Order: sequence, then structure tokens, then C-alpha cells
Amino acid sequence: MSITILKPGISASIQDLGRWHYQKFGIPVGGVMDKFSASVANIICGNEVNDAIIELTLHGTEIVFNEDAYCCISGHGCTAYINDTKIQFDRLIKIKAFSILKTKPTRYGCRAYLAIAGGFHLNKIMGSVSTYVPSSIGGINGRNLITGDIIHFTHKINKTQKDNTIQISESDFAYANWHINITHQHSESNQTTINCVIGPEWSLFNESSQHSLFNTSFTVSNDSNRMGYRLGGNELSLIQKLEMISSAVAMGIIQVTPKGQPIILMADAQTIGGYPRIARVCAADLPKLAQCRPGDIISFNHITENESFHKLSGIQKKIDQLKISVEMTNQ
Amino acid sequence: MIIPRIYSIHDQAITIEFSQTIDEQINMQVIAWQYEIESNPFPGFIECVPAYSSLTIYVNSDCNIDDLKNHLQKKINITENKNHFNVFSNNQDAKTIEIPVCYDSEFGFDLPWLSNTLKLSIEEIIQLHSEHIYRVYMIGFIPGFPYMGVLPAQLETSRKQNPSLKIPTGSIGVAGKQTGIYPAEIPGGWHIIGKTPLTIFDKSSESICLLKAGDRVKFIPITKKEFDQFQ
Repeated sequence: MSITILKPGISASIQDLGRWHYQKFGIPVGGVMDKFSASVANIICGNEVNDAIIELTLHGTEIVFNEDAYCCISGHGCTAYINDTKIQFDRLIKIKAFSILKTKPTRYGCRAYLAIAGGFHLNKIMGSVSTYVPSSIGGINGRNLITGDIIHFTHKINKTQKDNTIQISESDFAYANWHINITHQHSESNQTTINCVIGPEWSLFNESSQHSLFNTSFTVSNDSNRMGYRLGGNELSLIQKLEMISSAVAMGIIQVTPKGQPIILMADAQTIGGYPRIARVCAADLPKLAQCRPGDIISFNHITENESFHKLSGIQKKIDQLKISVEMTNQ
Repeated sequence: MIIPRIYSIHDQAITIEFSQTIDEQINMQVIAWQYEIESNPFPGFIECVPAYSSLTIYVNSDCNIDDLKNHLQKKINITENKNHFNVFSNNQDAKTIEIPVCYDSEFGFDLPWLSNTLKLSIEEIIQLHSEHIYRVYMIGFIPGFPYMGVLPAQLETSRKQNPSLKIPTGSIGVAGKQTGIYPAEIPGGWHIIGKTPLTIFDKSSESICLLKAGDRVKFIPITKKEFDQFQ
């Protein structure tokens, strides 16, 4: 069973939760930008959170289902239609064979995730299917999806007698009879507040730069992508010039270039970096950040390391709770 | 005595920074700690990433980073006090690897410029580069790129002002106190002095990388003919 990509749209790629254990060889973790939305889509389909998923950046994607399929779309950045009927996000949907899923523009958000019950079948490279385009690793031939790509899946509904009885009568799709309310962090807005912890080189930045970071806003620039978000705004400067020895990085680090521009490292960032790190984004806010599109305005809010860790635990609990809720609906 | 700095770079990643220098002894400490942690993994441990003078540890939600920080601090204190942490015994896995290099000007296209700038003949450059044994300090920048050092002082140069747009796979470059091998065709700012016929990075092989941090590398000059015959 399979789907065929009719149009990839602005960008679409195969991802999972990342390629771990190979950073010491210079291979970035990669994986989905918004782990929360991707996990939601997979969980609603009865999949594992790490199962292969399609990350849709903004709009313009068209996908035909070659067989009946159960799927879920979650995230932001587009509206979705099945044969011209708008569909809801965060719902388990049975889609009739030969139906076409289309995404159309919306004003907010950046990335949506399409999961299919049973999961997409792709070869893992170094333990992951995540597409890392700069080194042609993962996904389909290491590249983003293109017109004509066929992606196979196994039809499998976990313990879901009920779901198998979703009735498609005249229409091209139908929802499962259950619905779980998901509170996404992303606000329907082009302005976002992101919680941050001060970074290892914080004290080496001058006072006005420290002040600017938490009291002025920044714009996500047009050359932002899966590797990093470049920000426009006040220049951030060190007290004195600094030659740093490169060290390992992680998603969410806010490093500052010699020209004073902050760059937030995202999923596909290189494994090693050598720019001073003024702060880092709270991991619980990375999904929210991943939903920012070029032109969006970001303000940073200062929190402690401990607060940051607890926020992340909170997200983890939410995901665990969702898993339990989905399992319960299927009993 | 070095007092390492321990800090978080993510809610699930901690860096132990031993110093801010490129120093063989420090890097040996880094690799010793890497082996120590990899061979005694704790709940929630995912992976370790060594760099020049720091080690970063990635964990999952089974591990609280505050507890991890304390655990590492204790471990470091024990090591410092009892001085029982034998760096050398923890580096036994490191290998010395010979890498054939053809320094023909067809491959080492920056040799004439380097010769002029360094006031050394091309033969002297080749001799200096190939008679040293280098340490692999870390792998990074792009998948499989080994940062090696320390280059003999006579070969030190700054990076190119304008990076080359296409550096062929296998090219050997020098920049600053370092030498490296390009594992794939990419743009780059290092001066290119030769090329190896060996594959140093293969994403579909079992070992992925020919080299790892802590290994030693000796470059063996080969002729153009030997390069062509290399299978």
C-alpha cells in the first residue's frame, strides 16, 4: 500500500525523532523540527512516537492515497483538504483510496505532520529515516520529497476494533468517533514569546546586549531553515573579542556571529560550533519556535535552568497522557 | 591543575569543558572521559560527543540534568583528588592509521600558493606534512571531517579569504595549526595540498568513519601512478 506525492509544496521531507548515536562522527541528529506535533500525529494513529512521518513546510503539498488509509495531520502552517473538503487536525481520519490531500496557505505557523497508521516503510540509515539533505542521508535518496515519489506503508491499526469500523459511505473520508482535545503551545499569531536560559558565554556579552536579548524583539529572517534561524534585531556584542575553541552543540542554542547576529541552531545544525552562546531555548519551547516562519517576531523570556527542565518534563507528561487517552478510546 | 567547567547546553545535554585550548593532553582527558562514560552508561544516557577540549553528554527524559551535573562533579572531584584516572589506559582503543596521500599538484592545487607564502619549496612542504604524526582531535563540521593537529609551525597559515566552491572528496587541507581530510565534495576554506584514495566516510558502511577522535594519523606520500592504481 502506498501514497504518491503529486506536489511536494514548499518543502516536504521524511523525518522521525532523529539520528542519535552518530554525532561523534559529525552526523547531525536532525529529525522533526516540532517534536510535539509530530508525536501527536503518530500517537493518534496508534504509532510509536519515533515512527516515520512526513514534515510539510508551509503549504502547496498534494498527496494521493493509492489505497484506503488511516491517518492524522497535526501541527500548523497550512490548512488541509481531502478532495476540496477541509479536514480537522489532530483527528484520526479514514481516507478512501484515490482521494487527494491538499494543503493550502494560512497566516500562522510553519510545519504540519502527516502520520499514517502502521507507519511509512523506509530504510533506516544509522538507525533513522530522517532526511538530512546536506549529506544526502535518509528519507528517499537523502533528499526532500519530489513529484512522483511513492511511499509505502503497512495497513495496521493497533487494537482498534472501533477504528476499523469508521464508516465511509458517500464521502471520501470519515473521522473516528473519538476526539481528544490537544493544547498546542503555538498561538495563532505571528508573535511568539520563547523561554530561554542564559548560555555558557552570557557573562562575556556587554550589558546592552544582555538587555537587548530579553527586552527587545527579533525577527526570523528569510534565510532561516532546518539548520538554523537567523534573527534580525539589535546587534549583540561581546565585551571583548573572543577566539573560542569549537565544541558540540544542541538544538536551541543561540549563538552570536562575529557581526553580532544571533542564530538559533535547529534540527539539522552541524554537530560542532565555535560561536559564543548567549543563551539557549528551553527544550519545551522548541516546538513553538519550530512553528515560527520567516518574518515572525520573537521575544525572549529569561527563565532558570531548573524552570526550563520542569517545563520539558511537563511536555513529556502531556505526551504520555495523550498516549494513555488514545489507548483508552480504543478499549 | 585544571578545574573543568560543567554547564548545560540543552535541557538534555551537558558539556564538561576542560579548557579553552587545543592541547594534546587536554584532548586525551576528553577521550578518556568519553570512554569512561560510554563503558559505564547511566540510566537515560544516549551518547557522548568529544571536541578539542570538551565533552558533551546527551541524555533522554529518564535523566535529570541536575543529578547528572552533580554526578559528574563528584566523579571529577574523585579523579582530581585521588589522581587515579589513568588517561593512557583509557585511550587503548585509539589506533594509528596510515593514510596514503598523493601530493601531485593536480590534487594539491594550493601547493604553489603555499610554497610562495610560506617561503618553502613544495618538496619541503610535503616532507614536513608527511613526517609528523597527527592526533585526531574531533570529527565534525560535516559528517566524517577529522580535525587533526598539530601542524608543524612552518606550515601554519590562515584560512582562504574566499573559500573554494568545490573541494573534491578525499582532499587533504591545512589551515591554522590543523590539517584535515574532506569526506565529501563541498565548499571549503582550507588550503589543499593533496588527495587520498581512501574512503574516510561511508554512510552505508558498518564503521561509518575510518577515523575517530583519539586516533593517530600518519600520511604516506604516494605517486600519481600509485594513486591511480589504488583500488
